[in-house]
Amino acid sequence: MTSAISIRGVTKRYGAVTAVNGVDLEIESGQVYALLGPNGAGKTTLIEILEGYRERDAGEVSVLGFDPQRQRGELNRHVGIVLQRSTPMEGLTPREMLNFTAKLYDHPMNTDEVLELVGLTEHADRRGSKLSGGQKRRLDLATSVIGNPDLIFLDEPTTGFDVSARRQAWEVVRGLTARGATVILTTHYLDEAEHLSQQIGMIKDGSIVFEGDMTALRREMETGTRISWQPPVGLDLSDLLEEWKSVRVGPDGRLSLPTQEPTRHLARLIDWARNRGIDELPELQVERPDLEEMYLELVDDSQALETAEPS
Amino acid sequence: MSASNAVRTIRLGFAYMALNLKTIYRQPAALFFVVAFPIMFLVIFSSLLTFEIGIPEGAGANVPVITFSQYFVAGIMGVAIFGTSFNLLGTSLAIQQFDGTLKQLAATPLPKTSFFMGLVGTALAYTFLQLVVMLILGVVAYGVELPDAQGWLTLIWIVLLGVPAGCVLGISITKIIPSANAAPAVIQAPFIILQFISGVFFTLASLPTWLQWVSGIFPLRWVAQGLRSVFLPDAYKLAEPGMNWQLDIAAIVLAVWIVAGLGLAVLTFKWDRSG
Repeated sequence: MTSAISIRGVTKRYGAVTAVNGVDLEIESGQVYALLGPNGAGKTTLIEILEGYRERDAGEVSVLGFDPQRQRGELNRHVGIVLQRSTPMEGLTPREMLNFTAKLYDHPMNTDEVLELVGLTEHADRRGSKLSGGQKRRLDLATSVIGNPDLIFLDEPTTGFDVSARRQAWEVVRGLTARGATVILTTHYLDEAEHLSQQIGMIKDGSIVFEGDMTALRREMETGTRISWQPPVGLDLSDLLEEWKSVRVGPDGRLSLPTQEPTRHLARLIDWARNRGIDELPELQVERPDLEEMYLELVDDSQALETAEPS
Repeated sequence: MSASNAVRTIRLGFAYMALNLKTIYRQPAALFFVVAFPIMFLVIFSSLLTFEIGIPEGAGANVPVITFSQYFVAGIMGVAIFGTSFNLLGTSLAIQQFDGTLKQLAATPLPKTSFFMGLVGTALAYTFLQLVVMLILGVVAYGVELPDAQGWLTLIWIVLLGVPAGCVLGISITKIIPSANAAPAVIQAPFIILQFISGVFFTLASLPTWLQWVSGIFPLRWVAQGLRSVFLPDAYKLAEPGMNWQLDIAAIVLAVWIVAGLGLAVLTFKWDRSG
């Protein structure tokens, strides 16, 4: 299998912040690759480096054999891009927009076919300003595929959609991928990655923290145990928080500690409580969270993935 | 660039121009400002100011006396040329840089050259529309006299050089526009000042020399002066700086703006400032 995308050591800094930190990726042709991660993890920066919108500070990038930074004009002939934000030209209809876009490519698809593919046939002659949010998004999809691209970037294609609109959009994306193009999808929805992609990369704080398929991701993330309890109001927790860096404090004050060694940490916690005259930890739970729960914690607060190690 | 590439670039330039025209045509507000504004100016000023323009000193007794409309039609056409190229183009480009429209366009293989060709073509088409309406209105309502054959030729090259030069200024000014909301203000201010110092409302000779030099850097002054050569009797050139229409200098200044400015604008143009 050949690689559609091959990058090595890609780094991008904004001032003191490192948005992408030495990322390596190999993405095979013909698959749907989902780049998963919380907001601000570096997904969009990384994707925009691959698309040619941003210049990297270091590293090597090959997208379909081109360097997006120097050969963008060439690369654009083979790539379709759905940006995070939808901005159809308000005065134009989907048909007009697609007819124009088709002219820019060497071997475009037929406009009617593409309208059909994304389910916009009925609205083909309606002005952009009169399209609903979901219809605009479908037009974005249509615009990105009319040029018959070998590679399609979808940057959070369903953010802000309700459940049924997302399901419809997934159908459209499946239709596109059935044509054999490689798709790079960024999303912060786990189920979206699960439904659409064969391969998943998870990015956090600018680094790839996981690569593999859904089964591997489940295996990787579901191994941990979580100890949680509700401390009484007013109790001084400072030394506990100092000792367990990865303790999370919930909005209701509930403490939870992800760990690979629940027995040891539980014993330590009980010691700590006894020293303060607490014999019974209120609402104590020791549980194994599933993938969805683990992922939601990661999205909520990207400090939760690491298992606890007392410092 | 190979021949087939050049053909493609030109073809796509026209395609983008057609798309732009369609978009503007469907925005009544934009269309109104583009077409109606200078025409309104012409109507208001021609109705208010009905005096005759004084014959320049030393022009002799046989020089015809002209109406204010005849004088003003030249200046206001200059404003129209600049309005579509500098004002409208600069504003809409800035807005599209910030709202992501151009970011989407940058994802396609539309060559930058075609993009700029399309922009200039759009401005030319709208200028043509404005000038035709203004000429008809001027002739029918205010007795403006049409130019002779020589004048028509001058009018054509002034438009063909003036519009791209204005576009270059419009593209360049987007660099100093900090946000989409600020675009109209940042563009209007220099536009209005340029009108006052470029001989549109007042004769150039009535300005201090240093202001004449300032306006001489920008295209509008040369466009307006060139248009006066088209619409005023030849003897009125005595009222101009240097007692001459200075068409040769106009051509050089406009050409330099187009060649140097466009090159720089194309190289440094930013598709996307939304993020």
